[in-house]
Order: sequence, then structure tokens, then C-alpha cells
Amino acid sequence: MLNNQQLELKKLTDEELMLDVSRGNLDAMAHIFERYNKRLYNFYFQMIRDKAICEDMTQTVFYKVIRYRTSYKGGQFVSWIFKIARNVFSDQYQKSKKTSNNENLERVVSTSTENKIDRNDDLAHLQNALNTLSIEERELIVLNRIQGIKYAKIADIVGSSEGAVKVKVHRIIKKLKTVYLETI
Amino acid sequence: MDCKHIEHQIVDYIDRQLSAEDMLIIEQHIASCRHCKAVYDDTKALFSAFENVPEASPSDDLRTGFYNLLEEEKQLLNVKVVSLSKPDKTVPWKQAFQVAASIVLLLGGYFLGSYNSEQTAHQEISELQQETMKLREGMMLAMIENQSPSKRIQAVNFTESFAKPDIKILEALIERMQYDGNMNVRLAAAEALSEFPKSTLVKEAFIEALSTQKDPSLQIAIIQFLVKIQEKRAIAPMQQLLEHEDTPDFVKAQVNSGISEII
Repeated sequence: MLNNQQLELKKLTDEELMLDVSRGNLDAMAHIFERYNKRLYNFYFQMIRDKAICEDMTQTVFYKVIRYRTSYKGGQFVSWIFKIARNVFSDQYQKSKKTSNNENLERVVSTSTENKIDRNDDLAHLQNALNTLSIEERELIVLNRIQGIKYAKIADIVGSSEGAVKVKVHRIIKKLKTVYLETI
Repeated sequence: MDCKHIEHQIVDYIDRQLSAEDMLIIEQHIASCRHCKAVYDDTKALFSAFENVPEASPSDDLRTGFYNLLEEEKQLLNVKVVSLSKPDKTVPWKQAFQVAASIVLLLGGYFLGSYNSEQTAHQEISELQQETMKLREGMMLAMIENQSPSKRIQAVNFTESFAKPDIKILEALIERMQYDGNMNVRLAAAEALSEFPKSTLVKEAFIEALSTQKDPSLQIAIIQFLVKIQEKRAIAPMQQLLEHEDTPDFVKAQVNSGISEII
């Protein structure tokens, strides 16, 4: 019985799984975790290169998904969970600003970049280039180029229009290119 | 299209987000314009750097933490379900009476049963023991005809647990000792039979076997048994064995020492 249920759940789309969770089937939540934990963690890891903080934030996202499961009323699940992820991130960012942990974070970024220079030049240059961006810019480019999310969905996540997101992303790419190619 | 326009579309061109017509226009333009080719190459280089960003892996703590969280939430859900059915505050007299009645019936049944069973228990146990014995005998008789020698040996060994075996069992064993195709079965049967030295049936069978069995190890087992029970009638066939040319020397030696013991 259980195995059958597990098999059935595996075949469901993210949206169907989440609706299942919102109706009280918490077993479906495990599948959502398996599908998204690495993705969210990597999103955070590109923003803040601190493993512990990234794990905490990822955990918080799933906690919120479980807690507020009934607020999911269908619609793109990716957008929904990334909206939550952004809120969690901005909470964390505000908190770290207040406690001046931010400086620590910045230091983590630069040291980890330095360490990687001898190992992988291209990657280090990319990190350097990303460090020159504002947090908003970095978020957009990570969502688009690393997470592979299309402009329309990003617009949904950040509460903007597809056209505006596209223009911004293109501008960021241009900016990154200059820094990236200068250092190369 | 001028270069500025082309530049704007380079990203979409690389992402293949343009119409086939526009894709072709840009492709041709890049092939002929060095400036735009450079923009294209730079963008491509940046994108491939993005593609090569390695995927980071969270530690196992994340997974463990999540499943603990989920488990907690599930229990909370269960508590909620129980608390929903609670508000029913009237005392369920009918159910309480039913439970009480069933307890009384259960206890009554238990005492009545234990009183009766104490008397019959002993009788039942001895009956059961007899039944088990019969079952074992039946099993042994069935198994002793089995094709597999090891099964037949197993059957023969069953007889060890019979204090007073049925005559049918003894006959079956004797038949095995005399005629079984497998030497090991014959030997096992002889050993099993030697446990019943008081049975005349067994004694006669051994005496007969002494003159018919040609296998040395079986001959020795038979001689040992007959010597042990001091069977005088065995002397004649034993002497015959001595005269026989086929009898091996060590069997003859056993016969000689045996005869001296019986006499």
C-alpha cells in the first residue's frame, strides 16, 4: 500500500504534490523536499557563500512551506517556493545587516574566492564579477543563468513584468561581461 | 539591422529564443561583422562560465533536520485529529455497560474453563503424547520407503525415541538391515536394532543376517551385537564365517575374539 502511494506520488507534478500537502498529506512533502532542497541551497549558495547560513535558510523555507501549506492555492509551484525563498533571504539579510554579520559574509565571499583561484580560474573570475553586483542584480542573474528560470517566471517571483526583468538581466549580463573579461 | 540592434539580441540568439528568420539574420551578421562576433564570443564565454558553476551539496544535517521537522508536524496533525473527536462530553452509558458485561462474561468463562480443564488436562496430555508417538511411528514407516538414502537413515534414527517400538517398526527396521540397497542405511538399521536386545525378533534377525550379509563393517556390527547379548546360537554361523574364503582377516579376528567371549 505504502509503496504504491510512494510510486503514485513520484509521478505527480510539483503542483499536484503541493496541493496534496495543502490537503494534509504530509508524506507528499518528502518528495517536494527531495526535488527542491539542492536547488534552493544552491540558489542561496550563489548569493552568500556560507554553508551553514545557506542550510539554515533552506531549512527555513521548507519549514514555512509546511507551516503555511494551506495558503497554496495552485499556480506555478516554482514561483511560489522561490517567493518564500526570497522572503527568507531578505529576512536573513536584514538580520545580518543589523548585527553587522554582513561584513563577515563579505569576508567569507572574498576568501573563498581567493582559495579557488588556483583551482579554477574561470570560476574565480565569475565570482569576482558577481561580487561587483548589487544583491538585487545578483539575485536576478542567479535565478536566470544558474537556476535556469525564464523571465516570465522570474517576473512572477520578484513581482515585476517580463519585459522589465528581461531588460534588467540583459543589462546585468553586459555589466558582468566587462568585469569578467577585464580580469581574465 | 544595425550593430546596436544585433548586440541587443545576442543573448536571445545564444538562448535560441528568436524566430528562425531572426536567428538566420544574426548568424549571417556575426559571420561578417568582427565587432558583433567579439560581443557574441564574450557573451558565450560568460555563459559557459555560468554553466560550469559546480553544484554545491548541502550536508546531511539538512535532510535529517527536515525529516525531523516533518515527523513533528505529522504528530501535530494526529493530535488535532484526536482533539476534534473529543468534544463529545455525554457519558456513553450503553458502551460502558457493554464493556462491563463482556468483562464479566470473560472472567466467568475463564473460571469455568479452568475448573473443567484441570481434571481433563492430565488425561489430555497423556493422550497427546500417545498421539505424537503414533504420528512419529507413522512418519517413520512412511519415510523408510523413501528413495533417498539420507531420508531412510533419518527414518531409522527416529526409532531412537521409541522406548517400546511397535512390531511393525521392528519389522521395517529388520527389512532395512537385510535388504536395503545402501550400505549406510543397512548399518544405521543394525545400530538402531541393537538398541532392542531383548526382542527375540531382533535376535533372530541378527543371526540370520550374519550368514547373509557380505559387507565387513556390517558383519562386525552384527558380531558385536551378538557377542554383547551372549547369543549362543550365533556360534555356528560365526564359525562358518571363519571357514569362508571371502571373509576378510580383520572380520575373522573379530569372530575369533567374539567366539571366545560367548563361550
